[in-house]
Amino acid sequence: MNPTIFLQTTLNGLMTGGVYALVAVGLTLIFGVMKIVNFAQGEFVMLAMYVSWMLATFAHIGPYPGLLIVGAVMFGLGYAAFKFLIVRVIGKPDEAFILLTLGLSIVLQNLVLVIFGAEYFSIDTPIKDEAFHMGGLSLSVPRLIAFLVALLMVAGLSILLNRTDLGRAMRATAESREVATLLGINPIRCFTIAFAVGIVLAGAAGVLLTPMFYVFPGVGTLFNLTAFVVVVLGGMGSVTGALLGGLIIGIVEALSSTYISLDLSQLFTFLIFLAVLFIRPSGLFGGAAK
Amino acid sequence: MKNRVLWSVVLTVLLAFLGFAMVACQESGTKEIKIADMDCLSGSNADAGIQDLNGAQLAVDDINAAGGIKALGGAKLKLVAVDMTSDPKNAASTAERVFSTEKVVAAKCPGISGIALPMLPIAEKAQVPVICNSINDQITGQGYKYTFQIAPHGSQFGNAQVQFLKWLNEKYKLGIKDVAVVYENSGYGVSTAGGVKDFVTKGGFNLVLYESYPHGFTDASSLVTKVKASKAQALFPVAYTTDAKLIISTMNQMNVHPVVVGGGAGFIWPAFFTELGPAANGFVSVASWNWDSKAMSSKPELAAITERYQKRFGAFMGEHAGPSYVAIRMFADAMEQTKSSDSKKIRDYLATYNNSGLIGGMMQPGTIKIDSTGFNGVVHPVMIQWQDNLPRTVYPEVDASRSYMPPKK
Amino acid sequence: MNPKRAKLLPLALLAVVLAIPVFVHVPYYLHICFMIFLFATMGMGWNLIGGYGAQLSLGHSVFFAIGAYTSVLFVVYKSLTPLVGGLVGMALAVVASVIIGLPCFRLLGPYFALATIASGEITRTLLLHFKDFTAGANGVPIPFHGTNPLFLQFNSKAPYYYLALAMLVVVASIMRLMEKAKIGRYLAAIREDQQAAESLGVKSSQIKMIAFMLSAAIVAACGALYAFTVGYIDPDSVASVNLSIEIAVVVIVGGIGTLWGPVLGAAVVVLLTELTNMFLGGLRGGANLVLYGTLLIVVILLKPEGLISFFNKFRPKQGVDKTQIAHGTHA
Repeated sequence: MNPTIFLQTTLNGLMTGGVYALVAVGLTLIFGVMKIVNFAQGEFVMLAMYVSWMLATFAHIGPYPGLLIVGAVMFGLGYAAFKFLIVRVIGKPDEAFILLTLGLSIVLQNLVLVIFGAEYFSIDTPIKDEAFHMGGLSLSVPRLIAFLVALLMVAGLSILLNRTDLGRAMRATAESREVATLLGINPIRCFTIAFAVGIVLAGAAGVLLTPMFYVFPGVGTLFNLTAFVVVVLGGMGSVTGALLGGLIIGIVEALSSTYISLDLSQLFTFLIFLAVLFIRPSGLFGGAAK
Repeated sequence: MKNRVLWSVVLTVLLAFLGFAMVACQESGTKEIKIADMDCLSGSNADAGIQDLNGAQLAVDDINAAGGIKALGGAKLKLVAVDMTSDPKNAASTAERVFSTEKVVAAKCPGISGIALPMLPIAEKAQVPVICNSINDQITGQGYKYTFQIAPHGSQFGNAQVQFLKWLNEKYKLGIKDVAVVYENSGYGVSTAGGVKDFVTKGGFNLVLYESYPHGFTDASSLVTKVKASKAQALFPVAYTTDAKLIISTMNQMNVHPVVVGGGAGFIWPAFFTELGPAANGFVSVASWNWDSKAMSSKPELAAITERYQKRFGAFMGEHAGPSYVAIRMFADAMEQTKSSDSKKIRDYLATYNNSGLIGGMMQPGTIKIDSTGFNGVVHPVMIQWQDNLPRTVYPEVDASRSYMPPKK
Repeated sequence: MNPKRAKLLPLALLAVVLAIPVFVHVPYYLHICFMIFLFATMGMGWNLIGGYGAQLSLGHSVFFAIGAYTSVLFVVYKSLTPLVGGLVGMALAVVASVIIGLPCFRLLGPYFALATIASGEITRTLLLHFKDFTAGANGVPIPFHGTNPLFLQFNSKAPYYYLALAMLVVVASIMRLMEKAKIGRYLAAIREDQQAAESLGVKSSQIKMIAFMLSAAIVAACGALYAFTVGYIDPDSVASVNLSIEIAVVVIVGGIGTLWGPVLGAAVVVLLTELTNMFLGGLRGGANLVLYGTLLIVVILLKPEGLISFFNKFRPKQGVDKTQIAHGTHA
């Protein structure tokens, strides 16, 4: 086994894993606080990519500078989605939110298809094709940036959840709505913010992905499934779990691609997923077992 | 009370639908002959499908401008553009709809094999002749009488690529022995890859990697890592535009530079140049058709077609547009010769089609000859190289209009 | 409406439906009816586990694909009639359902849904990967060489129409019988409160497993019929997540946990798709899916019992209203 190839593969996996973690972090936050699996998370990533592309193409604002604008837009979208749609299924049986978010993902994906067409768009950033080369290994710059930002976000989110009043309020609401209300916390407000922040995180992921991936209506679905696997692996509601889960899945995918077969690498992701569900459904860092 | 109202509403809606549908069934004009252009105009294959439509539309306009079908009193052709979507289930329903409700005498079938195959039995049952420019061997391998195929079979592509590589080795002393084949796990990829594999091994090369990758993958680093690990000197990738671009840019990023002999599709469509810019020049690929093959460029009337296309659609006449144009021309020719717009007569004429004139000249090597299975048995793929921002035919010699330019070392 | 008339209504409807191909010869309209019957049948099958059994499966395309591929490959490799190949497909689908169901049933709500999506994707990946056996992404066409009833090859659309209709009637009858039989009551009990049912001695995992197995067999049979009607299958058209979602949506829009809900849902969804393709087809594509997704959202938010609840006046009272059980809105 060639050590360079092994190292390169692992490196690829880590970088890709960082990307998965980015998408999963928002998902796990939403689940952690509201117990809702947002089947449309990938579509919000996709929307952010389109917003980013439009900023770059029409306003000549690159993806990294445009991050704040996209973040604001995504906050608005998340807030609106929550107020008009999600809030109505809180407290209802599981099928309600599963089907609602599924319906939302279908509508978003196809609305974009109708408006923008099926063409693949791409953004030109100066660092797009840049890579660091050291000793036979190469490391793509945009991927490295995405990886570092993923780490930053996980750290930031952890601080938010553990050190701020808002975070404490959200965690209290997650544990028990009734008790939180008794303590004077407005659960709906917590849910709204949690959801909106979760969407903002999806948006950030989208922006960081634009230098690396094409922008097209179906790009969200590519991440949806993997994000779910990552969240289950890491533990629904655990932010560090999402990061670690992402890295693990990224590496497993890369290793199985290189050493077994590219086609089957997705298979391994799903097999891990099923294994976790049966052996330890709460995941690596999951709190209450579900 | 409420339910009676509800039922009446439901029944009225149903009747309205039926009534509308029956009206929609009626014939429109009398002196117009309808030909369906059934292509993927939406979904993931839309970029190819639109090229098909453009080619067909140009043909219809050219024929009408020259006086329509003279044998039928100058009757004009009308192209009915049909979106087959990129989903075979929808394609089947759409084909049913078109053949049931539109009075088309013939149809150009999709340039994407996975969407063409479901519609063939429907065309056969409806007895409407279809000409295909998609490359799957099975199109004319099922014994349908109403199906014709003018583009080369996917299994022939590999031969062209291998012969070209051998020729390069001899002429330029490249010394290439180890070849890697990677292909997209889609209909197109699978149709061509098997043939490529066979020819590579038969041609005396070492197949050091034979790998499929998921259609629409977003990260080529694993693939390129494997190519690097295989130490291949030449790479035969089979991909659509986005995958092709992803593979090439990842190879640039990771400093992996085998000689690339593209597998057609993404490597030869206008989008390849739009994506890569002048960096596209020098790339070589196989093609099922190219606009400047000797037969086309040596006849001024044919060369003029490609110029008209470029002017009207703002891009060179690509691999899908050309044969699409030819298909319409063949239908028109059949109607002229049989002096009829009857589908069966058109079909019978096409079954023994043999033309080396202005229509045959549009398909390399200059003749169209339909064999007993409905396939244009004399056609073969060509090799193109991007030069001066356009794909130019460089091999085989009988079709070449430019010389191959070896990479500057 | 008095109960006697209510019982005659389905028979009257059946008579009308049987007569349609005699008067309508346009293959496209018969094709639409075929798709409605097919989705209605699959919806009923899905309902067993998704509606009555309260386990939202988003992976039924697995069974559809098994039915389609088994029957087709038997023809390709062994020239064996799909009448037998289809039965084998149904058996294989049942085995698959056990493999999926046994470990997955104890997963709750969204986890089960995710696990079924994963099984769907695994199936699709495997079908794509073993291309030497399944032809992979190339797909398998079934050449039409003239009428051959044994291989389900007919020149006109009418025989396919009747086959699909027959399947629908058979499955609907099975559903009707089950509703009244013990197993139907057990399922209803599990639906309302699984723990309470278990405390009363209902072996919920066994019952759900039976429902799942039956559901798999039904969908597999539909897969086989579809394969021979359309004449071409490939992994993306028979094993995709979208197909699984479509089957579920048909039932949810129509009325989850009801007998006629899937039929209404199938009619609405198929007609919606075809109408939008007809009118907006030239447009970018995706328009029909926007409408379909919106319909799903609207139904979930405003009418979770499904569109069939508009027709509730016709259903003879059977004591407990199943739609209310289905959505926990039962008092």
